[in-house]
Amino acid sequence: MLKSEIKRLVRRHTEIGILVISLCLVLLFTLTSEGRWANAYNIGTILQVTATLGLMTLGVALVIGTGEIDISVGSTFGIGALIYLWFAVRIDPVFAALLAIGAGALIGAFNGILVTRTKTPSLIITLGSLMIFRGLAIALTDGFSFSVPYKERDGFSYSVLGGTEFLGINTGFYWLVAGLAVLLIALKMTPWGNRLLAVGGSAASAHSRGVRVERIKLSAFIVCGVLAAFAGTLEASKLGFADGSMGRLMELQAIAACVLGGCVLAGGRISLPGAVLGAFVLSSVQSYLVVTGVRPQWFIFLLGLIVVFAALGDRTLRRWSLKN
Amino acid sequence: MNKQTPLIQIKNLDLHFGAFHALKNVSVDFHAGELVGLVGDNGAGKTTLIRVLCGIHTPSAGEVYFDGTRVKTFHPKLAIDQGIETIQQSVGLCDNLSIARNFYLGREPVKRFCGLPLLDFAKMREMSGRVIRQFGLRENVSVDDEVERLSGGERQSVKIGRAVEFKNRVVIMDEPTNHLSVREREHVNELALQLRDQGLLVIYITHDIFQVHRLADRIVIMENGEKIEDASTETMSAEALEEVIRQGGRIVEKRDAV
Repeated sequence: MLKSEIKRLVRRHTEIGILVISLCLVLLFTLTSEGRWANAYNIGTILQVTATLGLMTLGVALVIGTGEIDISVGSTFGIGALIYLWFAVRIDPVFAALLAIGAGALIGAFNGILVTRTKTPSLIITLGSLMIFRGLAIALTDGFSFSVPYKERDGFSYSVLGGTEFLGINTGFYWLVAGLAVLLIALKMTPWGNRLLAVGGSAASAHSRGVRVERIKLSAFIVCGVLAAFAGTLEASKLGFADGSMGRLMELQAIAACVLGGCVLAGGRISLPGAVLGAFVLSSVQSYLVVTGVRPQWFIFLLGLIVVFAALGDRTLRRWSLKN
Repeated sequence: MNKQTPLIQIKNLDLHFGAFHALKNVSVDFHAGELVGLVGDNGAGKTTLIRVLCGIHTPSAGEVYFDGTRVKTFHPKLAIDQGIETIQQSVGLCDNLSIARNFYLGREPVKRFCGLPLLDFAKMREMSGRVIRQFGLRENVSVDDEVERLSGGERQSVKIGRAVEFKNRVVIMDEPTNHLSVREREHVNELALQLRDQGLLVIYITHDIFQVHRLADRIVIMENGEKIEDASTETMSAEALEEVIRQGGRIVEKRDAV
């Protein structure tokens, strides 16, 4: 009886795997780092990194939900950061952020329109835009970085957009919580969410029920672009400077966080809380390597191992839960 | 026969998939309140024809009229909005969604909350459960369970329940009794008759001429993308129609020549 209830729980909540992994890692890191990992300052840093990576991950998860993929988010993140900082010293940061978000929406629309109109695999299209926008960012900044002078970093608008801390946690983290809540409601409780998951589960069936498959995919790409550019804005606000390489390789981390969080790359099955927990796990591992003195170059290696084992574990768990 | 304006009128319909000529100059009328059996071998063009009617394929040439108005844009959403509901063999259900979510996919009931359109879960669960249980959904399966876990018959129950629940004008059934037990099959056939008696147009696609002959008012036979026979079940026996299918249209050509 208990076993069948657990199976039902696992079937309905794909994030259970990542929740168990997170708890185990938190316990392991706390016990083996002699207080260097589990302290208020370090946890605050981890949550700040989780905030930007998590927002980006939420967007990627939505695109994965439709059965597509967006690997251009690292570049969109960089473009968002650059546009924000360029304007933040000239106009109110809120308007600067809106411009950055607008650019993200345009990049998302660029990807979405190309994928849906040309029926080209999204992996190819977004690989192209990953390079196009990274190339633009590097070429336009010409090796220089943008920065905001210290005296301009304490305005309210700037602070709210990830520029400072509230209750010991970077304000970016509150944006992540709000973003997760809004998207969770949109995904689970609105017709748009129902159709998005249907498109990922079976585009042909969704189409036969009258769902506008192309529009749904396009909307997911746009939301993904917006979130990546907004994450770039928050990161730029936190650091106070940005250069052409900002966000490099973050697309891999975002996809890895999705996989860790129980999102199935074939589409139709995603967990937004799981994806955010995946981002938290990656930030925690990175931080653990730093505080224990392991060279950060090992991070990518560890990331790969974690993704492979998490994917295998998740598959095994799901098969078990489906067995009668 | 029926003298009123046909509910669906197809004139000289052609459909090409690249070099493949899937439908060849097909003309056929369908009236409200009749049950038409659409019969033919694999690859005859039956499913392709109904996929045009339900908006999945856009014809290469020819005209389709719905209720006297020419259809210019083909999309499943438009077909559903006009009241054409299709029960298809291979598509229609998303395995990853719950039964209730599949039932209402594309026409989800919403409750406004601060202007936001939120899914009306109570209605979705109650209505879908009540309708589908009539068609053989096990008691221990919840409408919140994913469709992935259902048997072939139960999957069909969801599709049929959906077609019955929404007030439609046309119900197209593509091999609706495949994967069903004998009792379930009888139930589906009774249902097709009930829908016809309520004044709906029912198009019933099958391989089994004997099964559909008992139900249908008229039988349309297709072969190689062409309509080769269109006859009332009162004037032609199932055996004669089977012979037409076996001969592949030659018998009709001979008869017409005479």
